[in-house]
Amino acid sequence: MRRRELREGAQGLLMVLPPVAVIAVFIGFPVVAAIAYTLGRAGGPNSVVASLGQRQFIVQHGVTLDAYRDVLGNKTIHRDLWATVWVTVLATLVVVVVSWAIALYLRLADTRLARIVSGLSVVPLFIPVVIASYAMLVFYSSDGFMRSVAYHLGWHSFPTLGFTLWCVFLAEVWVNIPFGVLMMSSGLNGVPNNLIEAARDSGASMPRVVRSILLPMNVIPTVIVATFTAIYVLGSFTVPYLTGPTAPNLLGPSMSNFFSAFNQPQQAEVLAIVVFVLALGIGAVYVWANVRTGKRSAVAP
Amino acid sequence: MSTERRLDGAQQRAEAPASPAPERTDVGLQIEHVSKDLGGRTIVDDMQLEVKAGELTCLLGPSGCGKTTTLRMIGGFLIPDRGRVLIGGNDVTKMSPDKRPTAMVFQNYALWPHMTVFKNVAFGLRLRKLPRQEVSDRVAQVLELVGLTHHVHSYPARISGGEQQRVALARALVLEPKVLLLDEPLSNLDAKLRVRVREDIREIQQRIGITTVFVTHDQDEALSISDRIAVMSGGNVEQYADARSLYREPETTFVASFVGAMNSYEATVVPGGLELPGKLVVPCDDLSATGDGTFEAGVRPEDVHVSLNGDGAPADVVREVPRGHYKEIVLNAGPNEVRAFVSADLPPAEHVRISFTRALLYRDGVLQRSSAPVSV
Repeated sequence: MRRRELREGAQGLLMVLPPVAVIAVFIGFPVVAAIAYTLGRAGGPNSVVASLGQRQFIVQHGVTLDAYRDVLGNKTIHRDLWATVWVTVLATLVVVVVSWAIALYLRLADTRLARIVSGLSVVPLFIPVVIASYAMLVFYSSDGFMRSVAYHLGWHSFPTLGFTLWCVFLAEVWVNIPFGVLMMSSGLNGVPNNLIEAARDSGASMPRVVRSILLPMNVIPTVIVATFTAIYVLGSFTVPYLTGPTAPNLLGPSMSNFFSAFNQPQQAEVLAIVVFVLALGIGAVYVWANVRTGKRSAVAP
Repeated sequence: MSTERRLDGAQQRAEAPASPAPERTDVGLQIEHVSKDLGGRTIVDDMQLEVKAGELTCLLGPSGCGKTTTLRMIGGFLIPDRGRVLIGGNDVTKMSPDKRPTAMVFQNYALWPHMTVFKNVAFGLRLRKLPRQEVSDRVAQVLELVGLTHHVHSYPARISGGEQQRVALARALVLEPKVLLLDEPLSNLDAKLRVRVREDIREIQQRIGITTVFVTHDQDEALSISDRIAVMSGGNVEQYADARSLYREPETTFVASFVGAMNSYEATVVPGGLELPGKLVVPCDDLSATGDGTFEAGVRPEDVHVSLNGDGAPADVVREVPRGHYKEIVLNAGPNEVRAFVSADLPPAEHVRISFTRALLYRDGVLQRSSAPVSV
């Protein structure tokens, strides 16, 4: 019996081994090597990049946090970090609120307009980010559509949003809205009608139904939209690179600058780890929300 | 929960009447010529129904007969296209569910999964901004009424189906509505639990004397707990009567076939009994009517008298089905199949004699009645 269990266990292990090995070799190993490089270890797989990079903090024995001190003490990075945080928080907030509003409308209204809105809300999903970014510039740059229209209407001081963090924010919202609407709609459509009717029957007005029934029952999709949007914006490159200012900009373009333009790969990798830690914190919120809801909805043994 | 208190709460809940009609205390609910079309199809068609205060009425019928649509119109989840709904004499036809003095128990309970049992039950009271102590007291009171004091802080997913059903009932009762609406509340329970919970519902309903409308397609359920039953078909009430009348004197062939088992034949009245197809004359003691021509005859299986010998039409036993304290016998009497409920002690036999103790005669689907039962 025991031998059979061992054999079955070994078979299972063999079956999962190929994907695990691929992840370990092609992702896990470079990550470990990069972490070691940021801590001053330039040997082994880091030797080539270390031989080319500038402004490195290398130790032969033990580890050093000098690279982190260098990056986190840099005022330009401070501004980039701050820009990243506010664009992430604001874009996430707006994506959550707008997705909620659209999904709620789609859930409660059974009209032709609702069906049209439902179709339109996912259009950005089919437009490549590069195209959308250039479209933003066509609209919001100093000689863009919006300023031209505003000028003709007599508003000569219409703000230029192109190549500012506001344009990055708008483009990030555009890119993330379809995912938000799809997730929120799926969550709200999962709330059975009779739960809403039971609340109405108990005397709740529609706003109260939204607050007391739909909102708490849609926590997980909301957390998913919030965390995934935040992580996406945090690590985004194309949108801020194409639509954002030279400086300060989000950490994605900043990372790229450190890596290629400034030839400081160690600092670029430190930035990558900073972004990873921030994303980890956001991911923890997602896991916490899932566990909390899972406990509540566990079926009686 | 005292009756006076229940009525006080219900009156608080009801808004000012939309029509100035004086309140009739003996009538709990009136449905006046109500019709409803959904998806281009008429679901409820010029329906009329009156439920006395404190009475439990069942809407019984097959799927698609309009019983749930009717219940939803009473609860305010659907607005009738025509007609009026009156509760305690007040017109509530256009009122939204949150303004009506009704409370509904939904088919799958519709408990809010993110709220504990206490919060589920207290939700409606909190909406009314009652003092915290009063909310606690009333929730405790109603949970005691439904026998659920030990699960106050459990989430719905952690309690059984029967207990969830009780929470749903408690949530409806705590609002002290004038009319309690139950939409097939037992359909998700297993057979044994269903019987127990329906008895509990009936007992609670009688104890607090609340006007109740109970939707079901299960005739056993309807017959066992109702004061009166409205059998529905094609969006209208076929017959509205107490369980015994409905069973013993179904007004239409639809009701006769839907409520209980019924042998149906084309028959003519002949001296001494009924002539069934195959020129088989079966003696009958009691006919609902008499006259020339063909009738549709309905005979309940318990009204078929089976004897091993003696008078009666000859019949062959096809099979016997034990039913506990009695048995069901399927017989061939000429070309006619006859089902009979007989004593379990009747010895097995291949050939028997049958007669009818009572037969109902229908013409155009409607029960034909003589002024007095006809003995032939």
